Amino acid sequence: MIEAISLTKMYGTKKGVENISFKIDKGEIVGFLGPNGAGKTTTMRLLTGFLYPNDGDAYIERNSIIEKPLIARKYIGYLSENNPLYEDLKVKEYLDFRGRVKGLKGKELKNRIDYVVEKCEIRDVISKLTGSCSKGYRQRIGIADALINDPPILILDEPTQGLDPAQIYHTRELIKSLSVEHTVILSTHILSEVEAICSRVLLIQKGNLIFDGSLEEMKNAFKKNQVLDVTFLCDETKGREILSSIKKIDRFEKLQNEGEGGSSFVIYSLEGEDIREEIFWKCFEERIPILRLNEKKKSLEEAFLKIISEESKEEEIQ
Amino acid sequence: MNKLLAITKKELLHYFYSPMAYVVLWAFLLINGFLFYVILSALSKTASPPVSPLSIIFGGSFFFYLLTIVITVVVTMRLGAEERKQGTFETLLTSPISDFEIVMGKFLAAFIFYVVAWLFTLIYVFIVKAYQKDLDFGPIISSYLGTLLLGMFFISIGLFSSMISKNQIVSAVIATLIMTMLLGITFLEFISSGVTREIFHYFDILTIMDNFSKGIVDSRNLIYLLSGTAFFIALSEKSLEARRWQ
Ligand SMILES: Nc1ncnc2c1ncn2[C@@H]1O[C@H](COP(=O)(O)OP(=O)(O)O)[C@@H](O)[C@H]1O
Ligand SMILES: [Mg+2]
Repeated sequence: MIEAISLTKMYGTKKGVENISFKIDKGEIVGFLGPNGAGKTTTMRLLTGFLYPNDGDAYIERNSIIEKPLIARKYIGYLSENNPLYEDLKVKEYLDFRGRVKGLKGKELKNRIDYVVEKCEIRDVISKLTGSCSKGYRQRIGIADALINDPPILILDEPTQGLDPAQIYHTRELIKSLSVEHTVILSTHILSEVEAICSRVLLIQKGNLIFDGSLEEMKNAFKKNQVLDVTFLCDETKGREILSSIKKIDRFEKLQNEGEGGSSFVIYSLEGEDIREEIFWKCFEERIPILRLNEKKKSLEEAFLKIISEESKEEEIQ
Repeated sequence: MNKLLAITKKELLHYFYSPMAYVVLWAFLLINGFLFYVILSALSKTASPPVSPLSIIFGGSFFFYLLTIVITVVVTMRLGAEERKQGTFETLLTSPISDFEIVMGKFLAAFIFYVVAWLFTLIYVFIVKAYQKDLDFGPIISSYLGTLLLGMFFISIGLFSSMISKNQIVSAVIATLIMTMLLGITFLEFISSGVTREIFHYFDILTIMDNFSKGIVDSRNLIYLLSGTAFFIALSEKSLEARRWQ
């Protein structure tokens, strides 16, 4: 349904996103999670065709967003981050315009406007200028616009940003109800938002996709176990023997040696355990030199910590 | 076509809701009316007027160019700049509508406004007709044709300027500069000779409008104004595509 293939976007010499690939199937509700400046908006702008990638491509229902942009865009309803509206138009004029631009007309247009007005609960402001609507209403007008031509895919960039708690709750309920009929991609820098709505997470940090999987899997991946990358100057059997004797090790895998001699392993500790010292003493006892010992997976953990810390900062403000 | 007309309708709504358009329309009619009155009363003093008063309104005076620049700049300056400023390019450019439809829809709206402004001047034609029974309609029709074609050309310039500008003021300045330079070609004619002079002559809008007001419809003039319009419309379209590659 949606396939991104090594999308890369540079803003001049500054990196927007780099080499992002993923596949999203019909019916999924996916959260792009990442701190501010991670590249969520850029990724969404690439999917919606607002920006073209420097490298890679994205396919919407098998239509390249660069080669067949008009067809690809037809399948997408997009709520952009700033949710710009024509401030001097009335809400009904705005929806009428948006419907027509997306190819609706006549009775069908009228029916769709009626439907989205009901669905998004904006009946009260239908004759007001969009510019005079409150933030909560504006957001719902934006979602109504995204929905107007009944696209199979909805892309919502930070849909609850700047709303008060009651509005956040309502918007999330609305999105959940929409996910029954639409594939939904939303972005957020708040972990609890992903927990509340999404079935799958794409974690983006500094322009890179660093995790793709279910929420459960992400939490497991972020458990604070230690991951080490070691090389012993001995054969594989001896190496396995040493590692098996250390209780705090959860599991380990043999790695391909890169011409440096000895045998290399990647080692996962039990949660919360530091095993470096124990490995050292064990090897000392066995008279096996350690050629290398690196701690891995820092970046993933750092990304997660950053998201968590930003979230707690935000909660303090509220 | 429906999508294109949706853009046109939206732009007309913006004109309708903004005071700027009314102010310009009124100013346009006032100045043209005043001009017409002065010319008519001056000419009525001489027994046999050497030229038709209408030819002076259509390109025969400095006021014509001033008014044409002002009205085409004002109706085009917000077309792209405002979308950019408000961020609405993001919703527009991610909709299933082509860049060409967006550009043409906007062009059409500005052109409709321009045509409406000139339609009011038909009143003057009827007044002159009342005074001058043997009025020749040929030059009048060709004058209107020239005015509409020049309007199209200038609107396409204004549209392009607005597409590449961050705000309306910058857009207005760029458009006015381009238009003034085009009108300035007439001076280059004085200081050149031979083939260069011929080329400048071909691009001289003052000569072209003079032809139209005399009832001469020269295909070279039509080609220049129409291809100029097409050129700036194409540039406007390209500017939208360039945004995506930025
Ligand atoms: N128009 C732009 N020009 C230059 N840099 C940009 C532009 N838009 C985004 N960036 C940069 O690209 C990076 C990713 O931004 P963005 O996609 O907006 O992140 P997010 O939506 O996750 O907060 C940031 O470093 C940001 O500063
Ligand atoms: Mg963003």
